[in-house]
Amino acid sequence: MFITESFIFTLIGTVAFVVLAPIIGCFLAGLDRIISARMQGRVGPPLLQPYYDVRKLIAKDDVTVSGVDGVYMTCALVFTAFAGGIFFSGGNLLMSAFVITMAALFFIMAAYSSRSPYAELGAGRETVQVMAYEPMVLLMAVCFFMAAGSFNVGAIFNQPLPVICLTIPAFIGFLFILTIKLRKSPFDLSTSHHAHQELVRGTTTEMSGKTLAKVEVMHWCETVLFLGWTGMFFIWGTPLSIILGVVVALAAWFFEIWIDNNFARVKWQAMLKWAWIVALVCGGINIVILAFI
Amino acid sequence: MQLISFLILFPLIIAAVLLVAKGDMLRNVIVVASAIIIAAGSIVLAVQYLGAPWIGFEFESPIVDYIGTAIGVVIAAAVIAFGVKYKNYLAIALAVIQVVGSLVFELGFAHGASSRIGLYIDSLSIVMALIIGIIGSGICVYALGYMIDFQKHLDEHGEAEGLTELQRKDRRPEFFALMFLFLSAMYVIVFSNNMAWMFTGWEVTTLCSFLLIAYTRTEEAVNNAFRQIIMNILGGIGFLVALYLAVAFTGTLSLERFIAIGMMRPALVVVAVGALAFAGLTKAAQMPFHTWLLGAMVAPTPTSALLHSSTMVKAGVFLLIKLSPLFAVCIVPATMVVLVGGFTFMLCSFMAISQTNAKRVLAYSTIANLGLIVACAGVATPEAVWAATLLVIFHAAAKSLLFLCVGTAEHHIGSRDIEDMDLLFDRMPRLARFMMLGIMCMFIAPFGMLIAKWATLVSFVDSNQIILILLLAFGSAATFMFWAKWLGKLSGIAGSPENVELTVHPSEWVSLIIMACIAVVACVALPFVSNIFVEPYVVGVFGVLGRDVAVDNLWLSSILAIFVFAVLFGGIGASKKKRVGVYLAGVSVDSDTRTYRNSLSGESIATSRNMYLNSFFGEQKLRPVGEVLCSFIIVVALLASGIIPPVLFL
Repeated sequence: MFITESFIFTLIGTVAFVVLAPIIGCFLAGLDRIISARMQGRVGPPLLQPYYDVRKLIAKDDVTVSGVDGVYMTCALVFTAFAGGIFFSGGNLLMSAFVITMAALFFIMAAYSSRSPYAELGAGRETVQVMAYEPMVLLMAVCFFMAAGSFNVGAIFNQPLPVICLTIPAFIGFLFILTIKLRKSPFDLSTSHHAHQELVRGTTTEMSGKTLAKVEVMHWCETVLFLGWTGMFFIWGTPLSIILGVVVALAAWFFEIWIDNNFARVKWQAMLKWAWIVALVCGGINIVILAFI
Repeated sequence: MQLISFLILFPLIIAAVLLVAKGDMLRNVIVVASAIIIAAGSIVLAVQYLGAPWIGFEFESPIVDYIGTAIGVVIAAAVIAFGVKYKNYLAIALAVIQVVGSLVFELGFAHGASSRIGLYIDSLSIVMALIIGIIGSGICVYALGYMIDFQKHLDEHGEAEGLTELQRKDRRPEFFALMFLFLSAMYVIVFSNNMAWMFTGWEVTTLCSFLLIAYTRTEEAVNNAFRQIIMNILGGIGFLVALYLAVAFTGTLSLERFIAIGMMRPALVVVAVGALAFAGLTKAAQMPFHTWLLGAMVAPTPTSALLHSSTMVKAGVFLLIKLSPLFAVCIVPATMVVLVGGFTFMLCSFMAISQTNAKRVLAYSTIANLGLIVACAGVATPEAVWAATLLVIFHAAAKSLLFLCVGTAEHHIGSRDIEDMDLLFDRMPRLARFMMLGIMCMFIAPFGMLIAKWATLVSFVDSNQIILILLLAFGSAATFMFWAKWLGKLSGIAGSPENVELTVHPSEWVSLIIMACIAVVACVALPFVSNIFVEPYVVGVFGVLGRDVAVDNLWLSSILAIFVFAVLFGGIGASKKKRVGVYLAGVSVDSDTRTYRNSLSGESIATSRNMYLNSFFGEQKLRPVGEVLCSFIIVVALLASGIIPPVLFL
């Protein structure tokens, strides 16, 4: 009934995440743009370009259509921070996944609130995206639980072997939906960083200034969190394995950029169908394996 | 004991009084006063027995037994009378079977069999009593204002809409009497240890909902009412079969003894458990019986609210949760309950995506949620029962709030279509916030629902319910979709259209605020709710609490809930920021109505609709699948539990 140590840890983790994740995420975003540019035979912007962009957005005039999108985006940011805090303090993986879904929900509400037809369509697609990746996220967490014996991320440090040894199918499924979660092509349906979006800017059509800056920062934080989920599979009792986790996470991230630059956007029907098939096959097989060994 | 009898008898008396009381003023006074008394009585009861273990009250009375039988006869007579009037012979046949069965049972077969301990109380019945007493009577108060509008509409437009005089008749005394009778019957169900008495309450709720659904006497209403009664009498016959078997094999009608004997010798009770589970599934509107709850929507909204949140379907899940310890030892009925619940959860969540009618979305989400509760009851681990009980609480609070919101919105914007709720945030600012609150309590992260889902997942994993895990994973993804798009529709803000919520009746506001407060308190005080109400029951039944459900996560969710409520009711108000028009790929003429000048210098209106994904989740596609699948599971399970035990004995 009392507030426990791990609760305090979560709060400390949240604060640490709030400080560090935007910095790391910002660098990653800059690198992403440089790598993408090189893949396309360009030089690309400076490493800190995302930071300059956001700084400029913050300095802009506060202009809004609905008057409330900024508040919703603040909520989304706060929930992202908590999701990160829960995860990186070794807390409950499911809770982290639920709370980040909550952030997605507030992002969707911010988009809807403007009543822009483009934003509404984008928001509708964003809900389909969430629906597409949710089953795999849940199944990934379940597989983690069955392999590590706990939903607590901290449990990986008690493992004799990394969790990946028992969860290869689930990890593959997770990599598939990671593309949706990171809003990378071919699944960047609701809004896109590239200039070839048929919905103007989809969810973010009517967002500007500080509100748009919040979207960017949220995206940085999300990237760090999801890469954390990726690395988690490769860490076990030895502290040195954290390096392995980071390396794998970065490799997965590079892989996502490569996909982003090599695949054309698909329709939502295809995304939903494939995401669910992958979840059913990869998640289902993995759970069966874990249940019977 | 006195308090329990009071809670059972008082609504009964009020029901009789309301039947003869004419005039709005008098009715308002009676309903409000008795609602307060019932709620207070339930709270006093809860405080008195807080955290108490199972306490039985010795109370045995042949007179009560006979009254129960007489009530059964009256119910059957009523059903037969309606059946004759509307020429529904199936209903007549079922009613005859049931009444003959119960007469033979009472006067011949089980004459003298009884239960020394007639009434009891434990933490689960306290939870149910609070739900019935506060939420149920709150809905009665809400109905006061709602029914005035409802009747006014009938008087003014009924004739033009081609309704006959019978259909336009002011039947409100009967309506309110039925609402209170319903509450009384529910108290009977949750406090009776004597299963024959419980059965009487069970049948009374069936009849009450029949009459409430048929309230308007339109063809659709009558048809749907008959569908309800046919399905529920089938369930009732299942219950009756279970009574026969209980007396034959265990020699007792005491629910507590029945469970205790069953735990020791499962083979004796397995068929009875199967029959009871069948009764629970019909009442909890699980597939293939879900259509009665969808049909019940034709009734005035307070009826739907009552059926969905605090009564009727909750009686079904209550029984299944009570039977949970037996499911742990009776594999076949448990498998039936788990699979039917799981498939119902997933398929009904899918179908909710394709609905535009707000009440239909709510109905499907109710059925889906009940499916989850049913599946938890079948899994029968301490964590699962913990989750099931929390789900009952949160569902009752959130769903009643949502139904009442939709009812009020319908009367003021003239539609219950979600697409028409565009700009509700401007037109009915307070109501829209309540509705958003309800939706958030139903499904998202820091709130109770997801905590409960997480416990569900833990227990599904622990018991290796692989199919259930998959059903839960896909079903809850669908849940996100249909709630999120509704929430999005509500959150749209334009200029400042006319506020139409000024004419909402005070009684409606009062009950809305009460429901909202319950939902908020339940979410914020989640650790306490769990500790005070739910854990004592789980410990009382299983002896242990199961895997630690992590108190710090409860606290975390409580903090996040406070944050969201603060934003919802404090943060999103008038903004001082500079407002601009919406971008419409043309020169905007009026951005509130999304009108713009098109390339031919004419004016076009940009419209957009939410996605309903009919090609994936349409009713026509999924309903037959679910009905066939669940019917098959039920038939196979009942046959198996009927055949296997005798084989084992030989």
